[in-house]
Amino acid sequence: MSRIIKIRNLEYVYPDGTKALKGIDLDVFKEESVGLIGPNGAGKSTLLLHLNGILKAGRGLVEVLGMKVKERNIIKVRQRVAIVFQEPDDQLFMPTVFDDVAFGPINLGYPEEKVRVSVKEALKGVRMESYEKRCSHHLSFGEKKRISLATVLSMQPEILILDEPTSNLDPRARRHLIELLRSFTLTKIVAGHDLELILGICQRVVLLDEGRIVANGDARNVLSNKSLMESHGLELPLSLGA
Amino acid sequence: MHLPEIDKFAHLKSPLHSWDPRVKIISISVLILSVVLLKDLRVTFLGLGLAITLVFLSKIPFSFVFVHLRWVLFFIVALFVILSLTVPGSTLVGLSFLGVSREGFELSLLISLRAISAVLLIFPMLGTTRFDLSLKALQKIKVPDKLIQLLMFTYRYIFLFLDEQKRIFTAATSRGWVRKTNLSTLKTMGNLVGMLLVRSFDRTERIRDAMLSRGYSGRLKTLDDLTLCWKDFLKGALVVTGALMPHLLGWMG
Repeated sequence: MSRIIKIRNLEYVYPDGTKALKGIDLDVFKEESVGLIGPNGAGKSTLLLHLNGILKAGRGLVEVLGMKVKERNIIKVRQRVAIVFQEPDDQLFMPTVFDDVAFGPINLGYPEEKVRVSVKEALKGVRMESYEKRCSHHLSFGEKKRISLATVLSMQPEILILDEPTSNLDPRARRHLIELLRSFTLTKIVAGHDLELILGICQRVVLLDEGRIVANGDARNVLSNKSLMESHGLELPLSLGA
Repeated sequence: MHLPEIDKFAHLKSPLHSWDPRVKIISISVLILSVVLLKDLRVTFLGLGLAITLVFLSKIPFSFVFVHLRWVLFFIVALFVILSLTVPGSTLVGLSFLGVSREGFELSLLISLRAISAVLLIFPMLGTTRFDLSLKALQKIKVPDKLIQLLMFTYRYIFLFLDEQKRIFTAATSRGWVRKTNLSTLKTMGNLVGMLLVRSFDRTERIRDAMLSRGYSGRLKTLDDLTLCWKDFLKGALVVTGALMPHLLGWMG
């Protein structure tokens, strides 16, 4: 498998002085699904925001698809690395579903016809074809989550990053979302506390705590290591005999 | 909860609904401008008549219009009281030491008719098109991008803001807080509103991240399906003629 993300000695300090990331080294390979777990404040979201250049590395290297994440290639990076944020109301900021799903492709400079095709395909991909003209604020939470996914799929990214994708979803909507995520073959990085989801869709798990990677390995091995999980404020997934 | 949706009746079918929003906004804006510039009281009634006719043609229920007109009426009542009692002139009605002046009454009536007509015209202008299409029309007629983004985000997030406000006040009520007319209530209200603003600010940062991650660079770009035909121009010509007519009648005395 070819390497698609390369992170070396990444450090980041927030303006208030909080050291969020301390010497992160990580590789992600093509079509791999990686789970990013850790207690609250471990630095998961901060790390994700570096992958498409929303946060700039304080020190170290972030390379995506062979490109260093820099201001001059930020649009190219953002087209290839898509982030779906935890709260769908933050992701869906346009008045209608169509405008939201078309937002990325238009900003990437796609011609009108290609934008329309991308929107159709993205909505089809999340099984929400008939929602084009709906207003985002009239959707249910589960529908908003799916449309959030479509807003980035329309950009035809190569890497899909999901921050807490199943938070606040009811069991049925959660199950539908997991089925949907399983059907995507692109490279996925899933951050969150839903360990069953991560066990279900990720081959590898990276455990982050206090801004450092404390474990990086096979999902089942990491998630079933009771002492490791408990020492970092986590629990074993139920299916692994918690 | 009740949502302040001006485009609640945008799905109806009427000559105003089928009108291209660009021509509609321009034409009705001309009519609004014309109405607010009227100086003759009799002709102002004609302007009000035109506004009511357009609301009627739009098929927007008058009950919906009146609900939204009540805030204007509240200000108008205050205007009547103040102007009728303060503008000097001949006495229309005298009540012991108070005198209602004819000039004050006529001036307040003139201002009220203009205000009511202008507000009424907002409904056929913006209430007969989906708000997102109205925004696209504004974009097409070169309204500044910053203003459009401001309107768009206000419209998109007003619902969330109201939900959040309801949640905060419910949380306070569930812990025994009762709204009273005292300093303690004011202090609590201040804290709750402050918290609402802090949360809104946090949200704006998250939205900004989401926008940046999808290639946003400061300008709002959208696609639209707006098409113009001769009927749109005909309707525009009719409304602009209607806008000029009261002025012509005014000049002719």
